[in-house]
Amino acid sequence: MTHDELRELTGGYALGALGEQERRAFEAHLATCVECAREVGEFATVANGLALAVPQVDPPAALRARVLNAVLSEESARVDPMPFPQPPVRVRPSALPVWLATAAALAAVALGLYSLNLRERISRLEEDLRLANARAAGVERELQVARAAVPRTSNARQIATVLDAPDVRTIDLLGQKNAPAATGRVYWSPTRGLVFTASNLPAPSVGRQYQLWVIPLGGSPVSAGMLDLEGGGLTMALVDSTIASRVGTVAVTLEPAGGVPQPTSDPVLAGTW
Amino acid sequence: MAGGDSSALADLYDRHARAIYSLALRILADAAEAEDVVQDVFTQAWRQATRYDAARAPVAGWLMIMARARSLDRLRRRRARISTTEMDPAMPHPRDPEIDQETLAITREQAERLRGAIGVLPDVHRTAIELAYYEGLSQTDIAARLQQPLGTVKTRIRTGLLKLRDVLSGRVQS
Repeated sequence: MTHDELRELTGGYALGALGEQERRAFEAHLATCVECAREVGEFATVANGLALAVPQVDPPAALRARVLNAVLSEESARVDPMPFPQPPVRVRPSALPVWLATAAALAAVALGLYSLNLRERISRLEEDLRLANARAAGVERELQVARAAVPRTSNARQIATVLDAPDVRTIDLLGQKNAPAATGRVYWSPTRGLVFTASNLPAPSVGRQYQLWVIPLGGSPVSAGMLDLEGGGLTMALVDSTIASRVGTVAVTLEPAGGVPQPTSDPVLAGTW
Repeated sequence: MAGGDSSALADLYDRHARAIYSLALRILADAAEAEDVVQDVFTQAWRQATRYDAARAPVAGWLMIMARARSLDRLRRRRARISTTEMDPAMPHPRDPEIDQETLAITREQAERLRGAIGVLPDVHRTAIELAYYEGLSQTDIAARLQQPLGTVKTRIRTGLLKLRDVLSGRVQS
């Protein structure tokens, strides 16, 4: 099949509507085509929207008790799940150019779409296993990326402690209108603290500096320190759990050098848990 | 959700049962079966709860994909009962927890926008997409149902999804 013919299959693939042969041919193509992989990823989001775009109807009130009782009675009867398998070894992200790593990730995501469902039809247990694997591998990959970005400083151990925390979660930060290309990510453990990373922050003008804020739900911003930029607008910070125990929003503002007690400008980067 | 206590389950139910029920009702057009789907989904979710950490990923996308898969399972069993021909084993909806986290999270506002956009899609595009998504038909099935060439169906599905994607991403207004 030509590329144009294969590209016609992106929609059917994302909706799970390809025949077996076409699906195989398309998946082989996906592994090498960043354009189609990206489109499949976008269509997967649309498909998820289709699930929510139906008329909303309240279920009968009695269903709540029925479902809760049924689920919990099964819970108490079930045996312990099998132990976690080790996550598969993945290609180190740093070994690939960025665009290729992205293409590979998209293709992997797209390729993962069907295999899971095939397994689901064979056995729900097998699906459990793959979900656990995929999650573990995804987390492991995130940790690898984050660890690779960590300079060998005295903070490294503390950062690793946060990244490895059982309660660690991620918050994605988006560049606001004054820095639309900026992106950031926070790894937050309520018990061990918070690791903040960002890239593409514009260089501040003379006498100005970026300041990091942790804003608890319903509370006032608490300064989490000043940020120094490296090349590429990269920066990172480690925030103690005494400040980061309750996080609603994490934001970055541009302030007079040395910092201010409360933000005086709109955020350039912000994300909410 | 991890840890699996009953108040967390109740909370999960209160947040998502309506959306799950609504999708199942749309696919199955049968209230009793839609209720069974809700129970199936929460049972499956709970079975995986100790390993799926809701703190890491929005759980809504995951639940909705299970809701679609369970609903289509039932729809296909029903069709198999009333049909003497072999059903095409069309795929249930793809899901991947990593996609849930990175890509599939859409807001209520986006869902609303998408709903409007679906309404104004040309009929031929909307019908093809709806047959694939809500009825689980393969492109070949759809071509037969609509008596259109397969190539036409492929193009309609992709073109329609491109339009919906543009609405969802804010590139165009619905």
